Amino acid sequence: MLALVNVFAEAAATDVNQAVAEATAKNPILPVMNEMFWTLVFFAILWALMKFVLLPPVMRTFKERADKVRDDQQAAEAADTARVDRLEQYEAGLAGARSEAVKLIEQARAEGDAERRVQVGAAEADVASLRTEAAAEIAGAKERARGELTSSITDIAVGAAEAVVQKSIDRSAQVSVVEDYVAQAGKN
Amino acid sequence: MIFGLEFPPIENLVEWPNWFGPKDSFYGFNKIAFISLVAIVATSVLFILGNRKRSMVPKGAQNLVESSVAFIRDGIVLETMGPDGMRYLPYLVSLFFFILIGNIFEVIPFFHMPANARMAGPAVLALITWAYYIAVGLKHQGPKYFINAIAPPGVPKALYILVVPIEFLSTFIVRPFSLAVRLFANMLAGHILLVTFSVLCITLFTASLLALVLPLSFFMLVALTGFEVMVAFLQAYIFTILAAVYIGSSMHAEH
Repeated sequence: MLALVNVFAEAAATDVNQAVAEATAKNPILPVMNEMFWTLVFFAILWALMKFVLLPPVMRTFKERADKVRDDQQAAEAADTARVDRLEQYEAGLAGARSEAVKLIEQARAEGDAERRVQVGAAEADVASLRTEAAAEIAGAKERARGELTSSITDIAVGAAEAVVQKSIDRSAQVSVVEDYVAQAGKN
Repeated sequence: MIFGLEFPPIENLVEWPNWFGPKDSFYGFNKIAFISLVAIVATSVLFILGNRKRSMVPKGAQNLVESSVAFIRDGIVLETMGPDGMRYLPYLVSLFFFILIGNIFEVIPFFHMPANARMAGPAVLALITWAYYIAVGLKHQGPKYFINAIAPPGVPKALYILVVPIEFLSTFIVRPFSLAVRLFANMLAGHILLVTFSVLCITLFTASLLALVLPLSFFMLVALTGFEVMVAFLQAYIFTILAAVYIGSSMHAEH
């Protein structure tokens, strides 16, 4: 009886094992060893290549680009700082030049004023000198005119008196009278 | 036969015979293995072309490579791990390109098979990620990593009865499983969808009235092809960002 049960049990187990084996062999969902093996091998190769050969140049390029961007940015910032410094220097120079120009203008103006004053003084002195000379000339001319006038008046007066009295009159005696008269008339 | 359609058996859609090597050997090289090989060759060629004439203003292949790496660096590594995570960038870039290229073969003519529509690829990548984040945890936290991972500090002691088994399952069992299944299921579903509409187009290409429905089916096939391109990228991104999150969470004890 027991042997019969064993026979049946063995037969059933064999059937189950066969069924499981067939199902496993035909089940398209379960992984198969050869595909796992090649996936493992190829992925391991790709990983090693990526780590040691393929990726490092890309990372170096990233680093070089980041460095270049950083350097260029720093250079641009330095250039900007230099530009601001230069602008400040230029503006300081411009302000210095402006103050220097104002100073020069004021100095030139002061010098001009002083020169003008000297020139004006000299001109005024010339004018005074000319005026004195002219006054002297006028005085001389006046004196000469008075002498000529006195002489003429004397001649006329003596002539007129000789005509009135019908005799000759001493001209030299009459000159002093005429001179006194002219002098008196000039005073009035 | 479904509604008159002669739909191929599922194993015909995803199982590929070995090109060399015995049938059940561990090194049998088939279409899936070839796609994995193409993934490393294509990635290597792309990076070599990108690195050949490096310039400060990237163009062509260099632009593509740098954009991809910058996308993973800024969008995944720095977002999830911060600057300390930069040392894991090679792993995550490898993961992203390996999955993306494996996925994109779904829409490449004459291949029409995503490598990740087979469980082997996602399972291996998930297991590597699982081992990797445990190794990172051990490196950064020592043996206390396991305690910190399953019994986060700051939790009321009574709750540890619930938290410890949940965290253990979540961190050490569910994470790799969900990583693998998410990728595998999405790619397999997309592959089956494309096959379905392709078969429908072929079936409708007849001299009968059924041909009137053909443009609709063809439009769906084209639209789904575009959609699958997006899914291929999205699944690569999701797998990579989750791997980064797991590695990042292993670097420091949770608070």
